[in-house]
Amino acid sequence: MATIDCKEFLVYLEPWMEGQHHPFAEAHLGECAQCRAMVEDLNQIQVSAQAWGAEEAEPPARLWTSLRAQLVEEGLIREEEVVAETRRSWFHGWFSGRPRLALAGVYLAALIAVAFALSGPVNERINRQRWLAGMEDSTTPVRAHLAKLEQNTTLSPLLDSNPTVTASLHDGLAIVDNHIALCEKSVSEEPDNEMARDFLFDAYQQKAELLAQLSDRGGYGR
Amino acid sequence: MPEAEAIRQAQRGDAAAFERLYRLHNRRVYSLCLRMVGNTAEAEDLTQEAFLQLFRKISTFRGESAFSTWLHRLSVNVVLMRLRKKSAAETSLEEVTEPDEESGGPRRDFGAPDLRLSGSIDRLNLQRAVEQLPPGYKSIFVLHDVQGYEHNEIAQIMGCSIGNSKSQLHKARMRLRELLHEVLRQRAREERKAAGGLSGED
Repeated sequence: MATIDCKEFLVYLEPWMEGQHHPFAEAHLGECAQCRAMVEDLNQIQVSAQAWGAEEAEPPARLWTSLRAQLVEEGLIREEEVVAETRRSWFHGWFSGRPRLALAGVYLAALIAVAFALSGPVNERINRQRWLAGMEDSTTPVRAHLAKLEQNTTLSPLLDSNPTVTASLHDGLAIVDNHIALCEKSVSEEPDNEMARDFLFDAYQQKAELLAQLSDRGGYGR
Repeated sequence: MPEAEAIRQAQRGDAAAFERLYRLHNRRVYSLCLRMVGNTAEAEDLTQEAFLQLFRKISTFRGESAFSTWLHRLSVNVVLMRLRKKSAAETSLEEVTEPDEESGGPRRDFGAPDLRLSGSIDRLNLQRAVEQLPPGYKSIFVLHDVQGYEHNEIAQIMGCSIGNSKSQLHKARMRLRELLHEVLRQRAREERKAAGGLSGED
């Protein structure tokens, strides 16, 4: 078989790396340590690149927040939809926000209340009146905390750079309040309805989050 | 919500659909940007820019190509625009020039047998070497070897022929090999220097 030199081998190298192994190239590699080293290097680069590619980086959560704000600013999505979205994706952003000590009590009380609510289905023989009383006991502190927080937030001076967003948050708050009233009514009428209980506690959390956003904008706690 | 439905909803301005599309593709776009620029702050900025452009243009998406291909073409263009601004001399895939390209193939650096890369390519070295590649080479190398795209997809994303994609990839790998060899040579020089210093102290 005719042999090729290193310079000629370069012509066959690109197809070789694509899996097209020409007999001339194969013969040359059999006898040339330098070209063999070059092919090994190129293979090694591919292997290392693949290992690098296997690790996908997670962008920080603030990126979506920033992008969403820009989309709202450009009118690509409407603000009320963003507020509604905030409510829908409650649990997603629950732990990603900055610490808000003022809300710690509300969160804790909400968790206790949720724990109580979830304990309902475990023992179905629980007396309805006892359950309702317990429900009342567990949600009262949450409501009290929310009312206090709401009062503080409302009284705070709003050092607000975007009154439109604040107004939108207030609208959202009114919607959530209506939602809470409906949920409380449903729970009192049907204490065994797990979905109603879930909605109620979700609504409490939504209200806490909206109040937190409002207090952030108004400088609550500073 | 499936991607196709999310696209339809986003075209009507639905906020949840925008977020769904973002969540579906953000890791891949961010990783691409990060690998191309090697800087988290800039990668964040570019990712935001890519998604912004996507959402601005989403009403024009008609589904002729895969949505991910469309998004990645857009992302690559955003990154290339930024790289071109930073490096005025290197302006496009076709205009990437290397000293030996005028005479034909890649540089004839066969490398001595004692300077093999095998086992010596750590992530940091590879990343640094990739950062030094011209934008066109870098895009194709990152898309093919790192992100795992096929040449036909890259041809769509980059707006070039499949043959051109293959050729550029080969040149990118050859250039990377040179850069990585340079790292090895530098390391060897430093080791010799350190050894010389130690013997001098004796």
